[in-house]
Amino acid sequence: MSVAVSSRRTFASGRRPGLLAFFARREVLPAVLICPVLIFFIVWDIIPTLWLLGLSFYRYSLTSGRPPIYSGFYNYITILNDAETWFDLSRTFIFVLLAVGIETGAGLLLGLLFWRSDRLPGRRVALTLLFAPMVVTPVAAGTFWRLIYDPTFGILNWFIRSLGFAPVRFLSDANFAFGSVLAVDIWMWTPFMVLMALAALASVPKAELEAAEIDRLTWLQRLRLVILHHGKFILMLGILLRTIDAFKTMDLIFDMTYGGPGTATELVAMSLFRKAFEDFDMGSSSALAVILLLISIAFTTTFLYVLYLRERKAAIA
Amino acid sequence: MSARLGQGLYHAVLWLVALIFFAPVFWIILSSFKTAPQILAVPPLIVFRPTFANYARLFAQPSFEHHFFNSIVLSVLAVVIAVAVSFLAAFAFSRFRPGATNFLMFLLLSIRMLPGSAAILPVYLMYVAFGWKDSYIWMTLFYAMFSIPFSVWILKGFIDGVSPRFDETGIVNGASWLSIIARLTLPQVMPGVVAALIFNFIFVWNEFLFNYIIGGINTANIPVLLATNLSHGGGIDWTFLSSLTTIYILPPIIAVYFFQRVLLVGMTFGTVRGEV
Repeated sequence: MSVAVSSRRTFASGRRPGLLAFFARREVLPAVLICPVLIFFIVWDIIPTLWLLGLSFYRYSLTSGRPPIYSGFYNYITILNDAETWFDLSRTFIFVLLAVGIETGAGLLLGLLFWRSDRLPGRRVALTLLFAPMVVTPVAAGTFWRLIYDPTFGILNWFIRSLGFAPVRFLSDANFAFGSVLAVDIWMWTPFMVLMALAALASVPKAELEAAEIDRLTWLQRLRLVILHHGKFILMLGILLRTIDAFKTMDLIFDMTYGGPGTATELVAMSLFRKAFEDFDMGSSSALAVILLLISIAFTTTFLYVLYLRERKAAIA
Repeated sequence: MSARLGQGLYHAVLWLVALIFFAPVFWIILSSFKTAPQILAVPPLIVFRPTFANYARLFAQPSFEHHFFNSIVLSVLAVVIAVAVSFLAAFAFSRFRPGATNFLMFLLLSIRMLPGSAAILPVYLMYVAFGWKDSYIWMTLFYAMFSIPFSVWILKGFIDGVSPRFDETGIVNGASWLSIIARLTLPQVMPGVVAALIFNFIFVWNEFLFNYIIGGINTANIPVLLATNLSHGGGIDWTFLSSLTTIYILPPIIAVYFFQRVLLVGMTFGTVRGEV
């Protein structure tokens, strides 16, 4: 605050056309303001990304101790020809589709339910409990779910056994592992979608809701015409953020199954981690990373384009 | 009468949902007061005599304070730096609309798109090459960078919602740009600032992978301690895990309780300010 006060005196009086006054000029100011973010961006994003891109054209293993050898598109060709890559990718797509789909559906439903409950006793506590999974350290959550899922000691299997069924090996049976990990992801991130849904609902003007009520629109019409019309942008942003993050799901897998059993839960982020920090094959893992980045960018661009296109159409209509 | 019954049922369902989501967390907290055999007891123990030995053991561990301190310093510093620079940039994007605004905003979002293990790879090589590994400053700056995109997006939305007339009035009355930014605009977008602070705080607070790879003994935070100290004579040290997790999730949960309204307003990206 002291900076603001002292410089205000300098600028406002205009008697000291020094260096500070130069920075405050209208043509210079935007550049000065954006500069710090730009520096961060160049050092930690542009340089590493270019580095990644460069490495992807080399054969470079940290364990061999040999210097990198230029190999053109060799890494890319190897990865794209590897059937395992395609299996991992399709598994990841299914994971993202199911996780984001269910989280959005459940999030929207719960958001609507909680939004209408102004008089719920202890609403704030209830919402805090609901949001708790989102803030639990993923490392701890993943490990603890292993105990909950455990065939012998886990509470879930105790329920199953007391109902008279055989215990389920949730994480070590290839038929269940994928679903079990998916369930934990849904547990962890549905609260985020509830938060986004509540925010979206909060952005709906109250007057329009009242008008809709007076016009006796049905609930479905109100949802479609009033709520989604105003809340669409925030909801879509939530879906976008969730999709990007689900595509990179890694810490849960890392703690719970490490990609196993077999390859049942091997998502691309996990196989990337293996390539980079188990095999230390920097060239090949860089190439895979570049491929994943391109997929992410393609998806996000399409998503934003469709979002803005719809908006422009709506603006014309 | 039936209307009241209906509402009671409705409220009961909502509470049930909240409790179901909280149940695994509750199980962690409950386990932290059990002895190791009690945690693995079959059938699971709901009623038992609580023990505080786990916490005593945890606090007696010399590395605990060090790592806890690291967690606090890294997350608070990184988030404050990130939100400060993001605010300046968001102001510039919102008010002056430089040519490439949309493109730059998209580029910023693209930081978030890189999978952690992809982003960490070149950063790791860079940090090794420059000798930045295991240093507080570079670790903090790295986390700050990771918090910037989301902060800029939130704050730009909020600043867009503040009428430029405030700026004009300020200029007419002889205020400098700095005081327009710090004294006219900042107080009006406080919900956005707080939301950005809390969201990014929770992210950095729980971050494991980057700290594990580009940090070291000096800068290791609690998630790294959790992950590396888990194995204990072959099995997992459940008492350690549950007691440490219970302490560690308290600050974010308290923050969510007290700033719930601000978080909601924050996620509207400035389309609503004030009442929710």
